[in-house]
Amino acid sequence: MTTTLGFSTESSSRRAERVRLLAQPAIVLVLVAAVLIWAFSQDLDATDRETLNGPSLLTMLYEHMLITVLVSALVVVIAVPLGVLLTRPGWRRLAPIFIGFANIGQAAPALGVVVLFFLLTGAEGGLWVVVLPLAFYSLLPVLRNTMVGLQEVDPALIDAGRGIGMSSGAVLARIEMPLAVPLILAGLRTSLVLAVGTATFAAFVDAGGFGVLIDTGYKLNRPPLLITGAVLAVALALMVDWLGSVAEQYLGPKGLR
Amino acid sequence: MNLWEYVVDRWDKLSLQAWLHTSEVVQATLLATLLGVGIGIAVYRSPAGSAIATALASAVLTIPSFALLGLLIPVLGLGVAPSMTVLVLYGLLPIVRNTIVGLSGVNPAIVDAARGIGMSRISVLTRIELALAWPAILAGMRVATQMLMGIAVVVAYAKGPGLGSEVFAGLTRAGSANATNQALAGTIGVVILALVLDGIYLLINRLTTPRGIRD
Repeated sequence: MTTTLGFSTESSSRRAERVRLLAQPAIVLVLVAAVLIWAFSQDLDATDRETLNGPSLLTMLYEHMLITVLVSALVVVIAVPLGVLLTRPGWRRLAPIFIGFANIGQAAPALGVVVLFFLLTGAEGGLWVVVLPLAFYSLLPVLRNTMVGLQEVDPALIDAGRGIGMSSGAVLARIEMPLAVPLILAGLRTSLVLAVGTATFAAFVDAGGFGVLIDTGYKLNRPPLLITGAVLAVALALMVDWLGSVAEQYLGPKGLR
Repeated sequence: MNLWEYVVDRWDKLSLQAWLHTSEVVQATLLATLLGVGIGIAVYRSPAGSAIATALASAVLTIPSFALLGLLIPVLGLGVAPSMTVLVLYGLLPIVRNTIVGLSGVNPAIVDAARGIGMSRISVLTRIELALAWPAILAGMRVATQMLMGIAVVVAYAKGPGLGSEVFAGLTRAGSANATNQALAGTIGVVILALVLDGIYLLINRLTTPRGIRD
């Protein structure tokens, strides 16, 4: 399902990227400012104030970011080495099994995976109950892009590296990986967006984040909470996506930009 | 009760929900296709229009589905209205992007030739350009459907129809006998339906791609 979630090099897509690179941070600022001004100028009663106040918003931001960062870190730590391993001779034939597994992981509904993991771990809830299933769910883009990136390296370059006496490890570290970095970063950006979006489900398993505001607002029928939570979650997702696109532009090897 | 017994026992309810889930996703995909192809046709000749449409549609995809649903509940209430709106919005991106890519990939010489033999602008669009862009549009629809299968679980939060209600029921009844079975039935059911629909897309692709441009 995600072949087209990877970022194509079509010119309209590239121009669209440039539009978003400029417009997105501005939109985020406006959204956050507008919703905070609106929410705090509402007639909030004591119950509202208990959830909707500066410190608790900061806590939710921290929880939401923590989940996103942990999920992405786990994805990188697992998917990049796995992708390297599955493109080495001898391991290559295992690749379809892992890709198939990761494909099913992503075809499964993220919310279903989180709820199942929650129930199977004794319905205790907590940070790792949301981080582990989401890491599994967000694995595929980075895994697939690492493998494709390594497979697309011109074999002549690898031959040349070996020919001047580099070991296979040195060829991997100094030729193959740098050339694969742009694709890996594109995959990481997709995974980041998946992680920050699905982190809203943390509310269902007692792990915090902006989802809590949405859920509380809905259950207690308090639109200010619901709307503030939703808008802040949207703004955070746009911000994380923007950071991903900046990383994509500036972290790759200079010669490939 | 193990999962198998549970599924057999609740087959009536589960099969109805599976049907509602599928029908909801297919209808949303069709609506998104109508809208997305329309938008694609409107903008594909202008580079700026294409860039803005693609940027907007991909920004929508960045928005967490649960947050978008939350924003729509105060406006549209519960049930089908917010659910369908969420699904159609998320389905738009792959279809808009693939329509633009497909239409702008049509060789201008072919369009010239068609105009040259006297075809009108409309028939060039429908009989040449859209026919050649069809595999790309269909690929976009396929991606959209796969994505919507998962998002349709989330919209059950707003009392939308489908297998998501099993997942939420499992969540609220955590600790009771059939909670895990319910969540499992909902989740696995969605995976199976997604695989079946994907197979149907392969079949449609085989049957509807113009003979001249098949691989």
